[in-house]
Amino acid sequence: MIEVVGLRKHFRVHRRKPGLAAAVRSLWHRTYDTVKAVDDISFTIERGERVGFLGPNGAGKTTTMKVLAGLLHPSAGQVTVEGHRPAQRDPAFLERITLVMGQKQQLLWDLPPSETYALNRAVFGLDPAAAARTLGELTELLGLAGLVDKPTRQLSLGERMKCELAAALLHQPTTLFLDEPTIGLDVAMQVTIRDFIRDYNQRHDATVLLTSHYMDDVVALCPRVIVIDGGHLIHDGDLRALVKTMIPDKLVSFTAALPADEVARLGEVVKSEHGRITIRVPEARLREVVGHVLDRAGTDLAVEDPPLEDVMRKLFHTKRAP
Amino acid sequence: MASPSTATPASPASPAAARPRRRLPYYAGLLAVQLRTSLTTAMQYRADFLVQGAMSLYWLGWNLVPLLVLFDHRASVAGWSFEAALVVMANFVILRGILEGAINPSLGAVVEQIRSGAFDYTLLRPADAQFLVSTARFAPWRALDVLGGLALLVYALVRLGHVPDLGQLAAGLVLLGAGLVLMYALWLIVVAAAFWVVRLDNLAFLLSSVFDAARWPAAVFRGTWRVIFTFVLPLAVITTMPAEALLGRLDLTTGLAAVAGAAVAAAIARAIWRLALRNYTSASS
Amino acid sequence: MRRALAALPTLCRIGLTEAVAYRAEMVVWLLTTTMPLVMLGLWTSVADEAPFRAWGSRDFVAYYLAALIVRNLTSNWVAWQIAEEIRTGTVSGRLLRPIHPFAGYLGTHLGAVPLRALAVAPVAIILVASSARAVLVTDPVHVAALVAALLGAWALTFALFVGLGTLAFFLDKPMGIIEVYFGVFAIFSGYLIPLPLLPGWVQALADWLPFRAMLGDPVAIAIGRVPDGAAAWALVGRQWAWAAGLMLVATVAWHRGVRRYEAFGG
Repeated sequence: MIEVVGLRKHFRVHRRKPGLAAAVRSLWHRTYDTVKAVDDISFTIERGERVGFLGPNGAGKTTTMKVLAGLLHPSAGQVTVEGHRPAQRDPAFLERITLVMGQKQQLLWDLPPSETYALNRAVFGLDPAAAARTLGELTELLGLAGLVDKPTRQLSLGERMKCELAAALLHQPTTLFLDEPTIGLDVAMQVTIRDFIRDYNQRHDATVLLTSHYMDDVVALCPRVIVIDGGHLIHDGDLRALVKTMIPDKLVSFTAALPADEVARLGEVVKSEHGRITIRVPEARLREVVGHVLDRAGTDLAVEDPPLEDVMRKLFHTKRAP
Repeated sequence: MASPSTATPASPASPAAARPRRRLPYYAGLLAVQLRTSLTTAMQYRADFLVQGAMSLYWLGWNLVPLLVLFDHRASVAGWSFEAALVVMANFVILRGILEGAINPSLGAVVEQIRSGAFDYTLLRPADAQFLVSTARFAPWRALDVLGGLALLVYALVRLGHVPDLGQLAAGLVLLGAGLVLMYALWLIVVAAAFWVVRLDNLAFLLSSVFDAARWPAAVFRGTWRVIFTFVLPLAVITTMPAEALLGRLDLTTGLAAVAGAAVAAAIARAIWRLALRNYTSASS
Repeated sequence: MRRALAALPTLCRIGLTEAVAYRAEMVVWLLTTTMPLVMLGLWTSVADEAPFRAWGSRDFVAYYLAALIVRNLTSNWVAWQIAEEIRTGTVSGRLLRPIHPFAGYLGTHLGAVPLRALAVAPVAIILVASSARAVLVTDPVHVAALVAALLGAWALTFALFVGLGTLAFFLDKPMGIIEVYFGVFAIFSGYLIPLPLLPGWVQALADWLPFRAMLGDPVAIAIGRVPDGAAAWALVGRQWAWAAGLMLVATVAWHRGVRRYEAFGG
């Protein structure tokens, strides 16, 4: 269980203008700005929940996650994870959590992942037999066969990410912080990893906090989302409800040869290619529009929620508007 | 972090991971794993063994050049004969071997980690960060340097016709150990600096260069140099005192002061490290 | 080539800005030149007891402080930089630019010289204020030769280091070679011990190597050990010959290296 109350994290950053004169001046006189990376955020996450952490770049997501993992000290506020204060870095706490950062790796570069696993086994004081069993399970679920004995630098990005996950989960943590775990991976690998995370969450009743810029990850994994922008929490709740609230429209796609003005009366045209038309329709008019399309012999009818990207864009745009 | 619980040996029976608390067996095991990793890597480059052997000989010879030039025309310098100075030089080679073999290699690993951000993972591990950082990498083939130094030491003592008695030998060993602790403390402070000034890739060179003054008997340096090398950067202590101990020239009080000094230096270094860590966990984004 | 020359002033200005920004790193590089100071401590102690082969304390002070100044002014870390860029693959970025990478390296390290000069200024002041000032040259011929020698030493060092860095195209761990190089340099340049104090055969060998032109010769000119003006300029000439030759070797090596790099896909 994760409990955050009034979290603030401020950084003092040295601002320097470009150019030689400014560089020389900075030798003896430095100006500092205060960056409020996280400004008064509160939320509670129960054991076993899967929560998506959304927001534009620089919103404060990674900062919050690092505070939760104990890597950063909060400037103000209280943070409790599994009954511990993360900043104290109590070994008992560190054994319960894991942080996976998609952009940084913990695998030793010149050596096979198996060496990193050996290190983690020793570091977490794992019983060798138990660890071997865990590794066996992970190997099967993630498809690591043949990978763990090759030097990390010889693995592809997707293979490396799978091995990273295994290294991060060897000690069977019950709280997972995942910071862009699928970044740079191909679609098939993203699906594999999503499925794996869901599976792990269900098997171990593990709490999952996920950041991702791939909305598909969030849609697939997280029933609940917390949205952060500019260090502020602007939404915390059910994902579907958020989508409905922000954009109470549906996307209707169909194939039909209809005149443009008729289509325009049905709804706002989003895409029109090779006879396949996608229009945005307010939910209230959905029945009417679908009926109309079917009457006019439209085929391959599909009704979808608007993409999460659109929702996010609207959310941030709304928030930022003066 | 230092929990006062009694040490429980890791029992392989219970699958519900009998996790030993953070005590000596735990850290000894961890050290073993780190050493094994470095050794495995070193084994992959077996040719390096020969290369290192050649380099050890090369530098051993190189280190002797100034000694030979100097003592070709002079019988003694500041009261130290050629053989006595050779003992100091031998200590230098031995400690240098340990520095480059067991201490400095980790520095490269750590600086790289800090720069890439992978250092965060070190902080996420439930072991003391200083320990993990200090044992990150070893260069096992440097043991050849240490062997070369020992050979030189034996040669010098034989030439001198002096065989240290048990007491002198013990004192020499203790003081070499104190020197090692002192070197490590310096190293730790340099690593702590890497947190503040991120782009310090050349730190390893700094340490090696600073260590340079330890080639010579401390008595050789006069005035301000003497003060600097005895108190600020006690390099003279590291190699000269063990030599004096082996040669039976060291008095007990000075020796004890040196050991105490090393302990104090270690404590200061640890404090600076924790400060640096605290700063890192407040300031990094 | 013309483009490279045109870009050079900008590259130098950026180099200086970089040097100022990474001043901590600069300080570390400067602090690594401890050898002359340690040697100074040693030899002045020796000379205080009695002059060592006609070298008195004052002579050693002059020599080693001058050596420290010359070393810091002429040395740079381009070998290490090139090796790192090749190892990490960053060199590809340079290869994509329309000017020769050497121009970039030149800009970076030439641009740092003013900062280095600033850093050794205190040492120069100490040198001039000490008793050693009596041996320093003051006549225009020698001073001019000294300036030329410093430039030549810089050019030589740069050319040699670029060549050493280029080895990274061919070797896995060029740092080993650079380590060996330093040992050889320290002896045959007079950095460790003044060349006149070394055995005859070492001095004879040093005449055939470029190292003394990198340090020993400029220092000798500075502290008045080359009384004949023409001889001083002859040394400068040899310097520049070495510099040109080594630059040629480095350029050829670079071309070969790049071809190899591109063939094996860095």
